[in-house]
Amino acid sequence: MSTPFISVKNLSFTYDDEETEAKHYVLKNFSVEIEKGSFVCVLGHNGSGKSTLAKLLNMILTPDEGTIVIGDTEITRPDMTEDDIFEVRRKIGMVFQNPDNQLVATIVEEDVAFGPENLGVPPTEIRRRVDEALATVGMTEYARHAPHRLSGGQKQRVAIAGIIAMLPECIIFDESTAMLDPQGRREVMNTIKMLNREKGITVLHITHNMDEAIDADRVVVINEGELYLDGTPKQVFSQVDKLRTAGLDVPQVTELFCDLREAGFSLPADILEEEEGAKLLASVLL
Amino acid sequence: MSILELKNVSYAYSVGTPFAKKALDNVSVSFEANRITGLIGHTGCGKSTLVQLLNGLLSPSEGQVLFDGQDVNEKGFDNKSLCFRVGLVFQYPEYQLFEETVYADIAYGPKNMGLDEQEIDRRIRTAAEFVRIDPKLFDASPFDLSGGQKRRVAIAGIMAMDPEVLILDEPAAGLDPVGREEILGGIRFYQRRRGNTVIIVSHSMEDMARYSDRLVVMDHGRIAMEGDCAEIFSKADALTSVGLDVPQITRFMLALKQRGVDVRTDVFTVDQARDEILRVAGGNRHA
Repeated sequence: MSTPFISVKNLSFTYDDEETEAKHYVLKNFSVEIEKGSFVCVLGHNGSGKSTLAKLLNMILTPDEGTIVIGDTEITRPDMTEDDIFEVRRKIGMVFQNPDNQLVATIVEEDVAFGPENLGVPPTEIRRRVDEALATVGMTEYARHAPHRLSGGQKQRVAIAGIIAMLPECIIFDESTAMLDPQGRREVMNTIKMLNREKGITVLHITHNMDEAIDADRVVVINEGELYLDGTPKQVFSQVDKLRTAGLDVPQVTELFCDLREAGFSLPADILEEEEGAKLLASVLL
Repeated sequence: MSILELKNVSYAYSVGTPFAKKALDNVSVSFEANRITGLIGHTGCGKSTLVQLLNGLLSPSEGQVLFDGQDVNEKGFDNKSLCFRVGLVFQYPEYQLFEETVYADIAYGPKNMGLDEQEIDRRIRTAAEFVRIDPKLFDASPFDLSGGQKRRVAIAGIMAMDPEVLILDEPAAGLDPVGREEILGGIRFYQRRRGNTVIIVSHSMEDMARYSDRLVVMDHGRIAMEGDCAEIFSKADALTSVGLDVPQITRFMLALKQRGVDVRTDVFTVDQARDEILRVAGGNRHA
């Protein structure tokens, strides 16, 4: 197996409960490895530790115990310099939930330029990167528009362009689709998939929407700060009961097949997607 | 019977500036009493403008807003009472908590209505029960609660005013499946028990399919469609063309029909799909 791009070992993150003064574990002895170029979906109920993991990966938070290695850099070592931290944040970009909270400029292209400007990239190179990033997310025609007049999906695509302009190797999407309408969701999901497949960017996508995990290479489920399930979408979603115990759900088609199995049909448990499900059920019914 | 009605309402922002924008364009729609109506539409379609007109936060540029048949913008209409009678829960209402205890926060609305202590207490307890907030939490600071609990406290604060119409803007946004069920299930329990009117703004077709009785679909400042869930979700193409979608289970039934299985496609929950497939399979079980 090739060396993983991200390697997390025995990671723990705690905070002190003010009243009881007991340590509360958000992540407990958590280990996971992420392959370069993979599309990994991270699921877990609110408070399960998903976002904490994301924030540990690009050093917004520092762990109590354990190590994180990104590429060939151990980012948890004590002698990380300011420059080293900057480099980690450049490599691992993050897109957050609320499209209105992460755009800083009054013009779309200036917002996209914000990241590379802060990295000290020369102006001609910034121009080139901004144009390319906007083209990648399909927002070129809005380059000179004001961000606040865009739709939610468009705003998120601008936020993504701002990350791409820093030439990251990995992007973490922390519930970046949660506040969008169906059209905006489609736009952002298509952009995420394209960045992964065509640009080779490693993607960690945190979501509560089970449908969005269907196309991932791998699904990682975090529960109470620990690694709970890990596998392909089919392997993970076929464990309906286990997911429900962890406060999660499965795609509706998977749930239907589970119900039909209980009603006596002999059908597989790992059907996620409507077309494959329809094909199979049609062959049984006709 | 309709309790709230918009008659030929138009609303424009920043009138008289180069940024003037028509948010609602000649909208006529009525919201039926004793039902849960889902209000759906793409970002910027005018949903939020519409709900703010419904409780008097905005006044229409043209047209009328009628509450129980009365024009709410007419001289003499008691506008302050409209805020109590039509309760509005904004997006991410947990950011609006401010009191020192959960109890005091829920009490804020009813207190401002001038009710006596005993009645306020009764309402707080009832509202907390609807949103499943344990009375043990009453003395806690709202800021020590989890995100889902905070949101339920904020919703309880509006429920405690006992409004005739309760409007919620994206009440389940950002929550996991259990959190969504706690909030939306709580709202439905409240509506069925109280028998009042609820309007929910949402981007989740799956949630609307599960929890609403009726749907109003908006597109670019107009009403695109209205009807019960089966009627609306059977129009998959029309919904997609206004930037929306149908639940995955509906797409599945459409795909099944396309492959020659004679199933109904006005199905929008997993339970309905199961029943329909069992019906089609008939006695001829493939066990």
